[in-house]
Amino acid sequence: MSTDPIWERSHDDEPDVPLAEDIAPGTANDPDASSRERVTITVDGEQVETEAGATLLDACQAVETSGDVLALCSYDENSKIGPRSECRTCMVETEQHSVIPSCSFPPRDGMTVYTDTEMATEARDVNLDLLLSNHNLLCTTCGKNGRCELQDVSIENDVVEPRYGVMHDRSELEPIDDSSPFIQIDRNKCILCNRCVEACNDVQVEGVLRMEGSGENTRIGFQNGMETMMESTCVSCGHCATVCPTGALLEQGLVDATTLPVPGFTHKTSAEGIIGEEYDHQSTQRTPMKSELETQNEPKASEPSATGED
Amino acid sequence: MADEKIICETPAVRVSAGSENHRRGLELLHEVDESEATVTTAAVGSVGYVGLEPLVIASVEGKTAFFSRPSIEQVETIATTLDDETVPTDEAMAVVEHDPATASLPTPETGPLGVGFRHVLGSCGWLAPTSIEEYTELRDDLFTERAEDDPENVRGDVMGTNLRGRGRGDASGDVSVAEEWTTVYETPGDPIVVVNGNESDDHADGDRLLLESAPIAVVDVALASAIALDATDVVIYTNETETLACERTQEAAAALDDVSDTDIPVRVVTGPDEYKAGEPTMALEAIEGNHRIEARRQPPGPSEHGVDGRPTLVHTPRTFAQIGMILEETSLRGATSDPGTRLITVADDDSTLATVELPTDATLDSAVSAVELENGWNGACVGGVFGGLTRTLDVPASAPGLSGARLGTNGVVELLGDSTCMVALAGERAKFAKEMNCGRCVPCREGSKQLVDLLRTVYDGEYKRGMLRELARVMRTTSLCGFGRDASRPVTTAMDEFETEFTAHAKGNCPTGICNQS
Repeated sequence: MSTDPIWERSHDDEPDVPLAEDIAPGTANDPDASSRERVTITVDGEQVETEAGATLLDACQAVETSGDVLALCSYDENSKIGPRSECRTCMVETEQHSVIPSCSFPPRDGMTVYTDTEMATEARDVNLDLLLSNHNLLCTTCGKNGRCELQDVSIENDVVEPRYGVMHDRSELEPIDDSSPFIQIDRNKCILCNRCVEACNDVQVEGVLRMEGSGENTRIGFQNGMETMMESTCVSCGHCATVCPTGALLEQGLVDATTLPVPGFTHKTSAEGIIGEEYDHQSTQRTPMKSELETQNEPKASEPSATGED
Repeated sequence: MADEKIICETPAVRVSAGSENHRRGLELLHEVDESEATVTTAAVGSVGYVGLEPLVIASVEGKTAFFSRPSIEQVETIATTLDDETVPTDEAMAVVEHDPATASLPTPETGPLGVGFRHVLGSCGWLAPTSIEEYTELRDDLFTERAEDDPENVRGDVMGTNLRGRGRGDASGDVSVAEEWTTVYETPGDPIVVVNGNESDDHADGDRLLLESAPIAVVDVALASAIALDATDVVIYTNETETLACERTQEAAAALDDVSDTDIPVRVVTGPDEYKAGEPTMALEAIEGNHRIEARRQPPGPSEHGVDGRPTLVHTPRTFAQIGMILEETSLRGATSDPGTRLITVADDDSTLATVELPTDATLDSAVSAVELENGWNGACVGGVFGGLTRTLDVPASAPGLSGARLGTNGVVELLGDSTCMVALAGERAKFAKEMNCGRCVPCREGSKQLVDLLRTVYDGEYKRGMLRELARVMRTTSLCGFGRDASRPVTTAMDEFETEFTAHAKGNCPTGICNQS
């Protein structure tokens, strides 16, 4: 039992994180995708026993599969992130359920899975090319060059020329959000895997990022409805950038880390415009909305130092 | 004011209209009520023929005359003639003799009203839609009461059939209803029953028709299903623009609540007027109140993880109507592989709609005469927005028959005349997919974009047959929900049936001339 009055008081106050019900990530209430029991399945002729809680993708990764199951949008499922099953580059063929996404289809006992059938390979190839068709593929000006998951799977899948081309019309590119001193957003590289939204809401419980829009206007936005990262309630924890598989969310210090050293050829010039440059020289490195919120939500114990009354 | 009960009344005037002609229907009804004539009147729901409405139905003792869109003066004459206990026949589109106590709309042998038969549609346009008095008088007990007395029996009746769900909004659309019931019943948790009546496809009128014209039966069956499955509540999910369906369903639910012993609450929830919002998992999202509607990952489906993660039975009003037939212990008609009937809305070039009921072993061409066509038809789009294009309607109305012919099963036959270019139509439907999808999965979101682009290149002189086929195939096999799985159907079926038109377009020539105009 603590007798520290400051500690006691801080517990009587409003919680300093948003309540889960205030968080509106804009995504569906998905079911659990893992099996509830141990099952035995066959992957490319090899028997695999899976633990309870495993996905079909775990089983595919446990053996040397004939085809490369790319599973781009998938993330470690123990981290409360995914499976989103958005990219559909993890498709495999089964005798029982035809072509299914291995990242999110619960394994069922006796399932027979093939990774290299014509249907499965075609599905993964086409879906990867569809992703690339909507991606700014200027790897040479991208800070994720060399440590990009999209790049990795494209190389792994022997992509030479994506069948639907790549996003090349500069006028169609969205401006880069350079407002935050910590994290830069380049939506032209976003594959909408939703990892950042889940990291922000389900892991950090900050309730900043959300999925918004529909159809081709689907994008990552902010739950407070603002347009730039600096106007959002971001606390700059960086988890979104850590989980981002591409160069869409990047730590500011790494923006040009792997750009080819050609003068005037930088990440910032890779898109048509930049928004949020006015924040370049601001004195505080906090998002304004967050500091407003802090006065309401922070434990009272920290109030004196926060307002400078000491 | 119209009377509450209309069956067996004589002389009687029914004014039948769906939401589209509801106001005009009330005007005509008012005219009869204001007249000197002593007639019983009722505002009844649509009989299914939007193009003929308001339909004034005048009856005296087992003889009924139908008048399509009569003028005010005509209605006055009808009222005065009825006052003399005679059925007016001047300018009637049909006159039928029938059993005076019939509970089902009497129909003529010929003409549009004689198309198909009326089983689940029997009371539509004949009985007062929200009169619980009439509803209870016609049967020994409510489905709800029967389920209260013996839930196991109701469960057994449904689980013992091979009925398939009806429509794209049904979680067991085209597949076994019994399996869905079994999963809902066996999954731990408090089950919930959802009536998914949100269909924004203007041509797919079957569910709206049932909710407007026979709402009590739909709610009664849904409630009985809830009791049989130990469910704790019923949600009726409708389109926010369908105010009449919404009001009538609410009235029906309140009326049933008054006369039955069940304490299962019935909630009417409205969702956005968007095509995607009718997809079963997006319906769940709308019911949960999510501000953004996107498809939910499956499996497990709604039967295990539905509203708030609870086991959820999602059927369309059309499916509940079929379940009602099972509970009435009438043996289901139609094909054994897909027993029962299907509601088919026939639409002509001007989008005049007629919804008819066909046994599943009938062929679609038997529905065509429900609309009057001036110039015939060259082809049809079967199954709604994402239906399949075909040159022939010699196709059984059953799920296996329709999907075998690569057509859609959402109960729509759009007849396409000379003025429809099949390539342009395929393009429009692809564009619809591109604009209306939820944005969640790559094959649907990005695939529909590329599909539109590939169709555009046909106009630029290049018909990339193989690429179109490949893309359509991957969209169909790998999309996350029914929206994406169906979205490429208009394109692939147009290529199957009208290939020469694609090659002609690639050479800069549209056979109908429509694409060359602009």
